[in-house]
Amino acid sequence: MTSPSATAPDTHPLGSAAAATPSGTRRGTEFEGTVTVLARQAVGDDVVALKLVASSGEPLPVWQPGAHIDVVLPTGATRQYSLCGPVGDTAHWQVAVLREPDGRGGSQWIHDHVEEGGELRVRGPRNNFPLRPAARYLFVGGGIGITPLLPMIAEADAAMAEWSLLYGGRTRSSMAFLAELESHGERVAVRPQDKHGLLDLAGFLGDPDPSTLVYCCGPAGLIDAVEAHCADWPAGAVNVERFAAAAVRQPADDAAEQPIEVELRASGTTVTVPPGLSVLKAVEQAGVPVLSSCEEGICGSCETSVLEGEVDHRDSLLTEDERAANDTMLICVSRARGGRLVLDL
Amino acid sequence: MTLTQHVRNGWYLGAWSDDVGRTLTQRWITDVPVCFYRLPDQTVTAVEDRCPHRKYPLSLGHLDDEGTLQCDYHGYRFDGRGVCVGVAEQADRPKAALRRFPLVEREGAIWIWPGDPELADESLLPDTSWLTDPSWTHVHGVVPLKARHMLLLENLLDLTHETFLHPTSIGNAAVAATPIDVTVDGDRVGFSRRMIGIEAPPFYEKSCGLTSPVDRWQDGDFYPPGIFVLNIRVAATGTEEPDGFHMKVLYGMTPGRGNETHDFYALGRDYLIDDQELTRFQHEQQLAVMQEDVDALEAQEIMYATDPGGTAESSIRSDLAALRGRRAVAKMLAREQRAQQDARTPHSRPSV
Repeated sequence: MTSPSATAPDTHPLGSAAAATPSGTRRGTEFEGTVTVLARQAVGDDVVALKLVASSGEPLPVWQPGAHIDVVLPTGATRQYSLCGPVGDTAHWQVAVLREPDGRGGSQWIHDHVEEGGELRVRGPRNNFPLRPAARYLFVGGGIGITPLLPMIAEADAAMAEWSLLYGGRTRSSMAFLAELESHGERVAVRPQDKHGLLDLAGFLGDPDPSTLVYCCGPAGLIDAVEAHCADWPAGAVNVERFAAAAVRQPADDAAEQPIEVELRASGTTVTVPPGLSVLKAVEQAGVPVLSSCEEGICGSCETSVLEGEVDHRDSLLTEDERAANDTMLICVSRARGGRLVLDL
Repeated sequence: MTLTQHVRNGWYLGAWSDDVGRTLTQRWITDVPVCFYRLPDQTVTAVEDRCPHRKYPLSLGHLDDEGTLQCDYHGYRFDGRGVCVGVAEQADRPKAALRRFPLVEREGAIWIWPGDPELADESLLPDTSWLTDPSWTHVHGVVPLKARHMLLLENLLDLTHETFLHPTSIGNAAVAATPIDVTVDGDRVGFSRRMIGIEAPPFYEKSCGLTSPVDRWQDGDFYPPGIFVLNIRVAATGTEEPDGFHMKVLYGMTPGRGNETHDFYALGRDYLIDDQELTRFQHEQQLAVMQEDVDALEAQEIMYATDPGGTAESSIRSDLAALRGRRAVAKMLAREQRAQQDARTPHSRPSV
């Protein structure tokens, strides 16, 4: 996901307020594990809302409006879904998922396989789309892009800020959470495309206003149009979140701080791998020859059989099934959980 | 990248239906000579193209009106099931039969399974209904390639090369600049690249009448060992994707003899399907793009073939789908070789 707001220089008009910008949930307060689907409810054509609880029964981390979680599919692919339930509810998370027949299959899998009582692997929350304090907000939501805006609207409303929402979708029945939104009265303009055509962005956004922040989430075309309309607005005034997912694997940083013992069974030797040194380098330093190439966990040249120990996979190449099998690893980047590995070297 | 042996337990595109008739057609597939022909009832048959007598190619023989295949060296004759029904020189029928390959003929394509017939599973074939769907039109053919199958596979699984190898047709900077999303489903490898608000590459400007900016999607699916389907969607930026222009390209990457590959292709579209001029233009473009690939892969093949020690390769993140494709094929080959080994090793031999 990209979010210009996360990296834009801090020049927005409410300078002092911006200093308190939430920078997203830090690692360490992230959850990674299994959640149980407490409820599954259709909230629009081809949109289901899932209410999730930690399978362990423990409280979930707190989050801020704009945050998303990663859902890890059985194929190993991850998909990001914005949290859209009440902020501050640490017992439940809610996401809404649109079935995308032309997508890569992630949303279809969720629609077809996730039932009440079922479990999902998730990670998060993370926030690339934080809501910054402002006197006035203009929210533009397209289709399922309404989800991150829901908690933002709740927060803006609670802060007594002035706000309004322009909500577009293909048809009225495809648009989720209408009843909840329409209870806000005239602040919310619901504009299904089959009745109203393309969104009247010019009319809604109007002229630049230093006290106003724009938040938009939806299809790329809508985001592009909002950005184009606001091209001469102050830097940082327009905040968007695109659906495109970046496939970057996050290493488990805490484990990198520990030295690990690696027994090379075929060579009859054991090496200690300090933090900051790769298993590959430690093996080479011990005089054991091993093929390697990219040293970035991509090419697979250094793939090594694992005889014992649990691997902390950091590579980009192995699939989730291959990782779960725990019988092979790319020693140029991957390490050990539990401090010890036995390799077939 | 040293894989030069071929997986045989898998479907390959063996021929287009319109290539095979009542004449005998030879095509090497995974180092096996195959003779394709049709019986009088129009069903297609593929047999190993070696007469069991002295290995003369049957494709140099004759097919009669009853569907009897005759070897033109010493006159062995085989019926529609490949069983020897006689030979000119003697009254007794020699005990001989031809190896026949499992085939599926569907939507104008003939799929062949060169490995263990017991394992041939039709459900492993991709959906190719668009080849005969009346709301689509397509062109197809086959291009010879003097390069190993794996090089073609990597070419298709890493379309980043379009930026550099096809700059005047389908490539531009946006392709290399946009990261891919890779998925694995069993042996299958898929990737997706979604380019939003980009400059329209020349081919799409001409064949869709689009002007920049456009949104362009590439979704590739590799059905190992030898089938690749690319779904292409192009739309004016700001319009909804389903209303855009849809194209599909099916590639049959069929290993031939040694490090040669049959590069089968079918390019389909779901718009302006009656526009013959557009069809002609797209076919020309497809062949021109493929020729650029063929030239590159043949140059690459020489470099791999002359580097048997395998100097180290460098890889980058956009190689991920291609590297997973390599692994998928390598795993299939390892499975196949293990199964052959098991079959050869007697489990227990009674002592005499």
